[in-house]
Parts: sequence; C-alpha cells; structure tokens
Amino acid sequence: MHRIKITFRVLVFIIAGLFLHYVLPQHDIVKITSTEIIRTDFSSYNRIFYAQPDSGAVEQPTRDLRLINTDKKKTWLLGFIPRDSTEVMVYRNEDTGWIWPPYFKFDSSDLQAEAASAARGESWAVVTHYGWRVRWASIYPNAVAVRLVDGPDVRIIPWFNIFFFGFLIVGIVFLRAMWRQFRERTVDPLMDSAEHRFDEASAGISEKKGRVSRWLGTWRAKK
Amino acid sequence: MSFIRLLLFGFLALSVVYLSISVYSRSVRREKLEKAWAKDNPGRTDLAARDAFVAEGIVAYNASFRPKLIGLVYIVPTVVVIAIVYITNAN
Repeated sequence: MHRIKITFRVLVFIIAGLFLHYVLPQHDIVKITSTEIIRTDFSSYNRIFYAQPDSGAVEQPTRDLRLINTDKKKTWLLGFIPRDSTEVMVYRNEDTGWIWPPYFKFDSSDLQAEAASAARGESWAVVTHYGWRVRWASIYPNAVAVRLVDGPDVRIIPWFNIFFFGFLIVGIVFLRAMWRQFRERTVDPLMDSAEHRFDEASAGISEKKGRVSRWLGTWRAKK
Repeated sequence: MSFIRLLLFGFLALSVVYLSISVYSRSVRREKLEKAWAKDNPGRTDLAARDAFVAEGIVAYNASFRPKLIGLVYIVPTVVVIAIVYITNAN
C-alpha cells in the first residue's frame, strides 16, 4: 500500500512537471537563419500539439504553418547552464488566441516579419517559446516573441516563471489552509455527531439482539 | 466565439474561487470571535450570549471593508490578462 502511494505521488508529480514544462515560457538564444511556410496536415495524435488557425480565420483540416528556422545555443538543465555548441531548432509561429495556453498571442504575422528581418543579419536573438520539438511526431515549439540581443552571452532572467512559481506555492499553501479550516469546522463536527448517532444505533441493536436471543433462549431446552 | 467562451468559463472559475474564499474568510473570523469570547469569559456556559456575541461580530465583519477586498479575485486576473495581451502583442 505504501509503495502504491509513493508510485502514485511520483506519477502525479512527473505529469504535473511535464505539463508545466510544456506550457511555461522558455528562452532560447538563437541565430535566426530563415523563415518559411509549409502546408500542414495534422494527424489525430499530433493535432493537440498545435494551436488553432489564426484568430479570425476558420478551422480546416489542412492549413499553412509559419516556421522559424534557427541555430540554437545548446544548454544543460532547462537553459540554466549555457554551452558553446549549437544545434538546429525549428519553431512554429501560431496564434494562441483566446484559447489554451493563455499567451493571448494574435500577432503571428508581425512576429514572422520580425523573424524574417532578424534572419537577414548576423545578430543574435532571444526567442521566447513554449512547447517541445518532437521529431518523430512533427511537433514544434511555438515562438511567442523574438528580441534581438548584442551577443550570445546575454543573461536571461525568467521573471514570469519566478512569479508563477511564487504564486503557485502561495496558492497551494492557501488551499491547504482552506481545506484544514473546512475539515476542522465542518467535517469533524459532522463526523462527531454521526459517530455519536452510530454509537447510539449500535447500542440499540445489541440491546434488541439481546432481547431476541433471550426470547429464543426460553424455547431452548433447560439444562 | 472563443473570447465569449473564455469570459464565461473564466467567470465561472473565478466565482468558485470567490465563494470559497468568502466562506473561508468568514469561518476564520467566526473562529476568532469564539476564541475571543472564551478568553474574555472563562468558564461561562451561557451559550445564547456567546452566540449573540459571535453573530454581532459576523454582522460587523460583513459590513466592514475586508470582505469587499475578496472582489479583487475578479479584478486582478482581468488586469493580468489585459497586461499579457498587451505585452505579447505590442511591438
């Protein structure tokens, strides 16, 4: 039982962690090499890793997808430890609109123009994105913003994530306090009175049982 | 259409948060009042007077500014969303 509990908790933790890793913004230091548009036919399993068509457009089974091709600086540990080597990274560039995840991005076309402009020069840029690159399922991270920087050694402070996790911890502590208050003030008194009633009822049953068996006893042969 | 859906579900979710925080806050206040009564009147078993004291405190709490602060539950997320819309889409 103890082992099942631990396994369950670890599973929940991993799933929540993966979810946050997919949804929260991350920053990559890149050199944008080109931009392009490809026609995309979604399959049932990779459809959820794409956003909707541009807000204001209609949903079709097939549509064009804006891509940003880059050379990305490799990192260790979610971007905290920089490395010297680079790798190829491709971002998609889609509106999230008013729908999940809540980036409220409507400016894909403008972002594509910014990326195209950055691709003409040799300058480095910081791409804010969410999502994963999964080659075998043709899934791309979604670029949210592009910011030109002086060089590849720029220091990035993830303000949003700092505030997000701070707020998450406060929220969890508050929820726990609420739950404890609810248990102490509402559930426990109810349980106490229910227990009391249960005690009374079981006392009544045993008394009745006593009466019945005593009556049965009058039919038994006397020793 | 998706904007209306966001408004609707956002309003529902925030209402759940608002109601739970209201109930929680009132419950904490009631507990505080009960403890204050127990401290000021040790050993007194007049339950009617105790209930009247607590009810009076709850009425004063309802009229005070504190419960109105819980309305921030609606305002803060709206402001945050507007800020995110601006920051994401401004050039």
